[in-house]
Amino acid sequence: MTDLNPSAALAGTTAMVGVGHSDWIADYAAVRAGTKPHDSFGYAAIAFNRSLADAGIDKSEIDGLVAGPPTAHERMCEVLGIDPNWGTQADAMMGIQSAMMAIATGMCEVVALVYGNDQRSAAVNYGGSNAAGGNAFLSYIYHAPWGFTSQGALYAIMLRRFMHDTGFTERDLAEVAVAQRLHSSLNPHALMRKRVTVEEYMATNYVCEPLHLLDYCLINDGGVAFIMMSAERARRGKRKPAIIHGIGRHDLSREATSLEPRLTNFYRPAQKKVAEQAFNMAGAGPKDMSCLQIYDSFSVHIPLALEGYGYCGYGEAAKFFHDHGISLERGLPVNTSGGHLSESYMQGWNHQIEAVRQIRGECGERQVKDCRYVHYSSDVAGKALSIIYGH
Amino acid sequence: MGKSNRVLGHYDKPMWESISRKKWELQFCPDGGKFRYPPAPIDPDTLSDVYEWRPITGTGEILSWVIFHRKYFDDHPPPYNSIAVRLDEGPIVVSQLVGPEPEGSWIGHRVEVVYGEHEGYVIPHMRLIG
Repeated sequence: MTDLNPSAALAGTTAMVGVGHSDWIADYAAVRAGTKPHDSFGYAAIAFNRSLADAGIDKSEIDGLVAGPPTAHERMCEVLGIDPNWGTQADAMMGIQSAMMAIATGMCEVVALVYGNDQRSAAVNYGGSNAAGGNAFLSYIYHAPWGFTSQGALYAIMLRRFMHDTGFTERDLAEVAVAQRLHSSLNPHALMRKRVTVEEYMATNYVCEPLHLLDYCLINDGGVAFIMMSAERARRGKRKPAIIHGIGRHDLSREATSLEPRLTNFYRPAQKKVAEQAFNMAGAGPKDMSCLQIYDSFSVHIPLALEGYGYCGYGEAAKFFHDHGISLERGLPVNTSGGHLSESYMQGWNHQIEAVRQIRGECGERQVKDCRYVHYSSDVAGKALSIIYGH
Repeated sequence: MGKSNRVLGHYDKPMWESISRKKWELQFCPDGGKFRYPPAPIDPDTLSDVYEWRPITGTGEILSWVIFHRKYFDDHPPPYNSIAVRLDEGPIVVSQLVGPEPEGSWIGHRVEVVYGEHEGYVIPHMRLIG
């Protein structure tokens, strides 16, 4: 295979201009009280309205629409009253990549990306006898006869091997939950705002050992939306845009069900390729990043991404945590909103909001000083993707 | 809650039939010379749809393991383990370790298949060798 740099021509051409989300805290309280404020489309619609207001544009400007699963594109268009020139159903990461291509090729000019999920009130199961996602990822359901189920278990078995190979410990992993709770304690939108210590982390129960309860993402209802357009058009607008300087993607799907790419090399080959694509496209590297937003369905994503993207060497994540730091207090801040562990589990969508807010300088107490570049990374079940946001 | 289900797709059924006979077979691609797991319509390297069902030795090495503390299935009361095993034939399979457990790390220990009963069907588990 040739060394691709497929999207170099798109460097700096696309921007995020508006972000919005539902009231996660109120949604969470309502659902825990036994009520259901909205369905998935309802949460998405609220977020969409707010993203329009944030962008300072009218709905009539939208001519492209990406609907995030679990909602369908066609019905979302109907609910929002939009007849687009282009659109699709895609998760946040693939949606942004697709929207960039659609805008660059002239398929459309202004794309709304909308997501709503009633996963908590609808009691969606990510493990057990009707685990979600098995149609796309056979590993989510294939090993059930041996009791092996849940996406948490897939990362737990990966973590166990990682600990064996590198000497990484549960106490090292605790640093992720501790740092992200520090961040969420400074975030008025976050669901979990109480700071925790390493000792408190260690005292929580295992769910799937070696993962503790605080290594798991929240499960909550809510919605997120953002608006994308060309950087040229965005710069003429009312709000300060977050420009996408780099993007890259590589999937490791071969032998995914037998866990080969997880257990053999922790998805490192995918992250290496994506790092080359995204950093080369942006003309910036790990040392230039002001903060990271890492898709954290489980805390173990953080040490794996730091090593995989070259923030430290292989096997050096624990050393990086302790010597350098991953919080707003010290070092390279990771998941400055609290992420999926502590802010809201919006499946990668809320990380984009935080990236935009950090670039705009809107984050108040948790604002990263002189924030120049924000690196977003996800490696959901081997689909590695990175986005570099900047000015 | 509910019970754990086997995935019984088109290519899975012959494998489970071999397991029911307590002689676990996997698809083998004569063109590429490799076993594959889980069962699938073609070999991902050669793209050949020609395959044979060949018995496996049932021996291998533990690559990693977890202990479930939360209950996910009615038929799997916690705590219980799941292990990933590199079969000597090449593929990785997920199973459960039955019998004595290693002291300390389980990784690298040799195991062999032992057939058990689960919910009315035969299922391959693993036990330590020696």
